[in-house]
Amino acid sequence: MLHLLCVPMDISIEHSPCRSYWTGRFNAMASPCEILVETQDREGAQHIVRQLAAEAWRIEEKFSRYRQNNLIDRINHSRGQPMEVDEETTLLINYAAQCFQLSDGLFDITAGALRRIWSFQPGAIPPDEEKVQECLSHIGWSRVNWEPPTLSLPQGMEIDLGGIGKEYAVDKAAQLANQATEASFVINFGGDLFVNKPRRNGKPWVIAVDDPSATGVQQVGQLAVTHGGIATSGDARRFLQYKGKRYSHILNPHTGYPVVNPPRSVTVLTDTCMEAGMLASFAMLQGPNARQFLEAQAVPFWIVD
Amino acid sequence: MQLTGKKSIRAALAAATCTVLSQPLQASQNSDEWDVKSGLLYYSEADRVTVIAPTVSAGTTTESGDIFTLRAIYDSLTGASPNGATPTNTTQTFTSPSGESSYTTQAGDTPLRDLTDTRVVLGIDWESELSRLMRHTLTANISSERDYLSLGVSDTLQRDFHNRQTTVSAGIGLTMDTISPEGGTPVGLQLLTASSEAGGDEQKSSLDLLLGITRILNRHTLTQVNFSHTYSTGCLTDPYKILSMIDPTTGETVQNISGEFLYRHEKRPDTRTSDSLYWKLQHQLTQDVVYLSYRYFQDDWGIRSHTMDLKYRYELQSGNYLQPHYRYYQQTAADFYHHSLVDDGALPDYASADLRLGEMTGNTVGLKFGIPLSDGEFNIRFEKMVQTGESHPADAIGVQRNYDLYPTLDATIVQIGYRTVF
Repeated sequence: MLHLLCVPMDISIEHSPCRSYWTGRFNAMASPCEILVETQDREGAQHIVRQLAAEAWRIEEKFSRYRQNNLIDRINHSRGQPMEVDEETTLLINYAAQCFQLSDGLFDITAGALRRIWSFQPGAIPPDEEKVQECLSHIGWSRVNWEPPTLSLPQGMEIDLGGIGKEYAVDKAAQLANQATEASFVINFGGDLFVNKPRRNGKPWVIAVDDPSATGVQQVGQLAVTHGGIATSGDARRFLQYKGKRYSHILNPHTGYPVVNPPRSVTVLTDTCMEAGMLASFAMLQGPNARQFLEAQAVPFWIVD
Repeated sequence: MQLTGKKSIRAALAAATCTVLSQPLQASQNSDEWDVKSGLLYYSEADRVTVIAPTVSAGTTTESGDIFTLRAIYDSLTGASPNGATPTNTTQTFTSPSGESSYTTQAGDTPLRDLTDTRVVLGIDWESELSRLMRHTLTANISSERDYLSLGVSDTLQRDFHNRQTTVSAGIGLTMDTISPEGGTPVGLQLLTASSEAGGDEQKSSLDLLLGITRILNRHTLTQVNFSHTYSTGCLTDPYKILSMIDPTTGETVQNISGEFLYRHEKRPDTRTSDSLYWKLQHQLTQDVVYLSYRYFQDDWGIRSHTMDLKYRYELQSGNYLQPHYRYYQQTAADFYHHSLVDDGALPDYASADLRLGEMTGNTVGLKFGIPLSDGEFNIRFEKMVQTGESHPADAIGVQRNYDLYPTLDATIVQIGYRTVF
């Protein structure tokens, strides 16, 4: 496990050029993370960054399906045996189940198996129909027996909370930061963000939206945010070009195939990062109807087609 | 399909999100981290004993969520403590239990016995979850002094109800003590001048039962009620406490033919059953927190006591806090408490002049100052405790009326605490 206090070099903190806020950086959930705290107090800012990094690492450790021997790993190796989970996991699984209902089965934490047969590496080819059908037989939240707090996952199936985890980490980190400071702050875990309030001068934080095909290089717009969670779904660099057809990396768990013609990316702003992330994912799953869906939700959003 | 068309799912999603995020923040469960608390306690009674006790405890959470805490205390005690004899109008000489040394007390003074002792206490707590709503804590302790060895184990079971608004606890504890008094165990109520053989080691054991309920009344208020029952058996007598034999008319301490003063060893019943009821209320105002508690205690030795405790945590602008503390304590005397025994030929079944078993009232005032640190806290506490009893009881005889038969205990407590994460 990463050790926060013994390995302080995992976290860096620096003053912004205009000297109005401190920026702390660390890596978690396979993403660069940064925390901006508008304060003069270096120690205070450092303390917040350490706390938030610890929380991000805790959530990663607990829910990542890439870790061995954590809860998710144990569930995925339960071979059909009922497993009792703790309260935090219960809440997250309940949330996933509600999202499954709300999306009419399009958001499904058991759909991870599809990613094993679909590769979006350059030169990859789509799996054959037989493989897709075989894979679909191990997918479907409605086949899981979930009686909180006990989960019975049929043998051969697996769950993946990756579609919720990073946004959840942002919102939990925001709660911690709100407890620790009165100052204005921005939490950015690999593009999933939260802003608590306007800056000291009353102005919003300005957040750049990258061009999905040129992350970090080219921007398609700037968002002025005073409060809320922001999440983006879609990455134009992850697609599969095969025999003149373009397959997006958003997979439909009903068909086992990529969603047809989704936008290149969707960014949503709501009260929390979790909601923003879920609305952005739902929108992508709508394919060409993404805009119509988001308009019906009456939330600020940005679509890159 | 719910998603298609213009239907908004936002409200339902917002509600679902709110539920997930409503869970209280988890403490970072890092199995490599040790939550270390250290402290230094200084307790000093005016003209009596002084105790200096460094304490340290370290707790860690394992991958499976179990919490282990190791504790250690080292006490060093020096000074003098009342031996039970009353002041009289002449110099009194006392011989140590081993017979090797003696000490004298001037006329009119409370006889005090010199004390030096060190005590080492080691303990371990193991807290683990049995199910999602049930956990238990197993505790083991060993405490060792020159003449005393105590071993204890206890287990407490806790179960949450009503969405974790209510917690019910049930506990059981066993303590086994071995007492090896300096110079052997004396025979109860025997004269010190009698040369009978003193016994060897003595045993004492106690059984504790606890039943408690903690309830969160609202976001700011928590209350707790505990009931505990203790049964002790074995040697409950203090081998070093004595009683003066008093002349029924003059009130002077009686002397034998050789001019030696007469004292008797104390003797207490060999069982004690006690019950106590404890109630606590904790309420958070906008920022500050008030802690109020009351305890009622009674035992079959005739002691009834009431303890009221009030603390107010005042949050300062700087992030530090100040916590004033007031405690009131009042107890009735044990049925067999006597400041001295009248030398009229009749002896009671049990007798003790231990001031701790007498009627008394205690008042404690204190102030604690705490500085929260990024990974812990530093605090310092200063307290003053005064215990008063019946200095001039109605049954004092003759010259006894001139003396203070329940000297006031005046203690100063200073404690420094430091908590951090390694």
